[in-house]
Amino acid sequence: MKFTFNWLREYIEVELAPAKIADHLTMLGLEVDACEPCYPDLTGVCVARIEAVHPHPNADKLVLCDVNIGSEMVRVVCGAPNARAGLVTAIALPGAVLPGDFKVKPAKIRGEKSHGMLCSAKELAISEAQAGIMELAADLPLGQPLAAALNLEDTMIEVDLTPNRPDCASVLGIAREVGGVVGNHIKPPVTEVPELAGHDLPFQVEVQAPADCPRYVARLIKNIKIGPSPWWLQQRLAAVGLRSINNVVDITNFVMMEYGQPLHAFDFDKLAAGKIVVRLAGADEKMTTLDGVERQLDEQMLLICDAENPVALAGVMGGANSEVDNATVNILLESACFDAISIRRTAGKLKMSTDASYRFERGVDPQAAPRAMERAVQLIARLAGGEIVAGGVDFKAAIPEPATIKLRISRTSALLGLPLSADQVAKVLTSIELAVAPHDEDTLLVTVPSFRVDLEREIDLVEEVARLIGYNELPTAQPLVPMTFPEQDPSRLLRKKVSNILLGLGFYEAINYSFVSPQHLDLLGLAADDYRRKTVTLLNPLAEDQSIMRTTLLPALLENLRRNANHQNPDVRLFEIGKVFHPMGDAQPKEPMRLTAVLSGRRQPAAPLLYGDEATDIFDVKGVVAQLFTSLGLNHITYEKGAAEALAYGDVATLLSVRANGELLGSCGVVDAKILKAFGIKQKVFFVDLDFDLLGSQPLQAKRFAALPKFPSVKWDLALLVPEKVAGGEMVAAITGAGEPIIEQAEIFDVFRGKNIEAGMKSVAIAITYRSAEHTLDDESVAKVHQKIIDMMISRFDGQLREA
Amino acid sequence: MEDEILRLKAEAEAALSAISQAGELEPFRVKYLGRKGEFTLIMRQLGKASAEDRPRLGKLANEIKQVLEDAFTARESELKAGQARAGAVISEDLSLPGRFTPFGKLHPVTQVMEEVCSIFEGLGFAVAEGPDVEVDFYNFEALNIPKHHPARAMHDTFYISESLLLRTHTSPMQARVMEKQEPPLRMIAPGKVYRCDSDITHTPMFHQIEGFLVDRNVSFADLKGVLSIVIAKLFAPDTAIRFRPSFFPFTEPSAEVDIACVICGGSGCRVCKQTGWLEILGAGLIDPEVFKKVGYDPEQYSGFAFGLGIERIAMLKYGITDIRLYYENDLRFLSQF
Repeated sequence: MKFTFNWLREYIEVELAPAKIADHLTMLGLEVDACEPCYPDLTGVCVARIEAVHPHPNADKLVLCDVNIGSEMVRVVCGAPNARAGLVTAIALPGAVLPGDFKVKPAKIRGEKSHGMLCSAKELAISEAQAGIMELAADLPLGQPLAAALNLEDTMIEVDLTPNRPDCASVLGIAREVGGVVGNHIKPPVTEVPELAGHDLPFQVEVQAPADCPRYVARLIKNIKIGPSPWWLQQRLAAVGLRSINNVVDITNFVMMEYGQPLHAFDFDKLAAGKIVVRLAGADEKMTTLDGVERQLDEQMLLICDAENPVALAGVMGGANSEVDNATVNILLESACFDAISIRRTAGKLKMSTDASYRFERGVDPQAAPRAMERAVQLIARLAGGEIVAGGVDFKAAIPEPATIKLRISRTSALLGLPLSADQVAKVLTSIELAVAPHDEDTLLVTVPSFRVDLEREIDLVEEVARLIGYNELPTAQPLVPMTFPEQDPSRLLRKKVSNILLGLGFYEAINYSFVSPQHLDLLGLAADDYRRKTVTLLNPLAEDQSIMRTTLLPALLENLRRNANHQNPDVRLFEIGKVFHPMGDAQPKEPMRLTAVLSGRRQPAAPLLYGDEATDIFDVKGVVAQLFTSLGLNHITYEKGAAEALAYGDVATLLSVRANGELLGSCGVVDAKILKAFGIKQKVFFVDLDFDLLGSQPLQAKRFAALPKFPSVKWDLALLVPEKVAGGEMVAAITGAGEPIIEQAEIFDVFRGKNIEAGMKSVAIAITYRSAEHTLDDESVAKVHQKIIDMMISRFDGQLREA
Repeated sequence: MEDEILRLKAEAEAALSAISQAGELEPFRVKYLGRKGEFTLIMRQLGKASAEDRPRLGKLANEIKQVLEDAFTARESELKAGQARAGAVISEDLSLPGRFTPFGKLHPVTQVMEEVCSIFEGLGFAVAEGPDVEVDFYNFEALNIPKHHPARAMHDTFYISESLLLRTHTSPMQARVMEKQEPPLRMIAPGKVYRCDSDITHTPMFHQIEGFLVDRNVSFADLKGVLSIVIAKLFAPDTAIRFRPSFFPFTEPSAEVDIACVICGGSGCRVCKQTGWLEILGAGLIDPEVFKKVGYDPEQYSGFAFGLGIERIAMLKYGITDIRLYYENDLRFLSQF
């Protein structure tokens, strides 16, 4: 809602500066978005009269003007077609700075001196299109600064209205709020409204849908003269961003801004049988609105029709067939109140939003219609001539009586935390024209004026009291509540724990949109029957690539990786813990949480290059999984080659499925080269993808103390030549599982192929830690066990002992 | 003779202490302590001394020579040690970077989210999360936003079906929790929310934290008190705060809470649109209609609720100027926080 300071002052006496008023409005809940001068600084621009015009000796399209600026005559070169002797216009004298930072200087134009510049309204940024230099009233004093002459000192204030305050979608409504601040009451432009009698009228109104149209006021004005609006009216509308059309349409807009009551003027001669019918549209009915668009209507949309056809979409926009134009002579003026929900539905369905629909759908004062009508009729008679036909129609259906609400002072005080007296409460409420009467010792009876459609309950009045006292004047306290232990969401706690472990492993956390492109599923190569292809789909996505809810986190992370690689950052460790969505028919979808990570480039992305720039390999991925699980206290991890879930996009050679306590948690491996290519990634990428909820449901190893060893351990090594196919992990498992009580640990420390080693074989070196809980081990007892192990390993893995 | 010995001692001591480089040690040794050095010469001359003086002088000369030899040895090791340390500086270039296992970082949105959550946890608030795909009832109806309410225009909603939508705020958790639990309640609900709106200042997905407290006799003053603590912890202790009236269908009285602009300190700048204030959260007393919907008696209980946007707070705390950076996961961005 825009208005100007001068406009406001027509209805309320106020001494405050515009900026101060803006502050007050903001603190009243009418948040001011902008408060700025309506017009540019026009210092140096003044009123002048062209006394004589001479041809320019060197240019056909230019003339030389002798211009009277009050104190003296100056010579100015001008190219405007309307430059003529006797014209009072605007001159920018040397030194003036025009909008667009145009500095006016004495100049020579085609060899002729020009002392300043005659200006158009557009050059002065006063209004939009005007051909030629300004044409001002002949009686303006010459030499007077233009800003003063045209009343161009004003401030535009824009308020961001909340939906509960349609009453403030009017300058009078704003003035009323300001009145509450400064302790004045508003002076509305119309104080008396004549009773509208309905007999012998040359037109008829029939309201067939009274539920959607509780009030309809109509009057006829004959023999008007359509023409441009006077300057003051154009100026008012321009300042709030409304284009001037003609005097009649401008008046309807002006009164709408003034009263918050939308009006509509019909060309009476275009209404069949001089009749207005307010009815609901038929199922297949269509009409063409003022903007030239043909609208498909439905049975819930309210129409204003003449005897034959729709002539307006009620409360939203007029029809093209009844529009006021330059040939219009007689007008029928409508000032009505339409049901908010009906208009909201219609405007929403047709995706139309007009100044009228904005107001109606929030609620228009049902008592404003006759007042706005009277105001508009008077203005039309004054500015467009015409005869006001006596009487008119004022249809009234069920208009609610003003609500009377009981307001308890004790309740108000308790809710606000501020002890209040009945007098204090009554005073603030009456300041904005609420009627207050005492009911009993603790209760006031508050009668709500019709324009405050938002006040229905006691709590609404409590808010008014708080608002008018000022939120910042209310005390600050701390709630007294019983001490309780705040329970935390276990999933969130696990997320924090897991995130911390991954940060320690060098991963950055990513957050991607929950909605993704359906293309992701193709890029990932998912089979047609893959469960991740069943998606939750948005009915109204912003874009195709944000149209389905994700079923996997991997594609977005791959896109993140590509983005980083494209920005010269190929060394990436990213993880995301987030929801995926699986549809459940009409019910809410399942929203399980997943943990997905991608690794690529250097093993330690941010570490100094000096200490190694080895590339990530599959064992880094396994290491991440192992570190994550053991840090969480999950000890029973197993890996298996292959993972059905990731076969579509994982490289078969490295794909592993991960189990904890035997339960399948997810997969890890290398992303298949074809998939990477589809994502536009040119480097090797590793991934881990786990079901986070399952991870969280695993029983954790209880923390339990074991006595520290009393006796030293000894480490003996063992190097075996074994066939390539033998798994190192199994060799270690064979040793630790051999049932020898003094074997504490076995660990591979070298795997070697090549020089001196037969093709198809490899050397695996294992360090075995021996320790006894009872005594210090001697070489002899270790040797005995060690030899047993060697023999067992050779026979089990078809190996040979490697010479040291 | 004795004078000669003492003079030599003084001279040698001065020469020794003047030595600053290892290279000067050998000439000193040769000159004073060598086989043909000054002390050897003087010892040889002892034969010329009288017989009763000879033993005393011999002893003195020997003692002095011993003292000088000890001093020389000490100085020699001192200088050599110095040389060794100097050598170490040359072989270890300490300007080279330290070796470490690099850590990653949490996304700035998560960091701020956790910061806010931990402030509320400190105040005894429980934390619970709800579904992202919400039913119309919890997102709107239960919060006093019936169909065709103009407030629905404040929420550009993504729909999944007639009755399912992506939650437009974390407020549905109010209704979900109150439906199941009796007061007193103190809870916050962090999470992702969605609005179909995308421009320089809006992303279609963002994060909010909803919070509410319900008990007997909870007042607007309590709301002001709790939020003042939270803002002081989240920003600076002396951050100026103002509460101004606003409108939310599920609270009344409703408030927007502004803090003094963190960029200009309140004098007015582009970030605060010259107002000196930044809007950071919406709040209010829970509307009696919301209580009625969950079966609480609004005459018995009152409470407050608030919601704050995490991206906005992160922008203010860290000076982030482009909201689109949040969801690109560019390491050049993520590594800054």
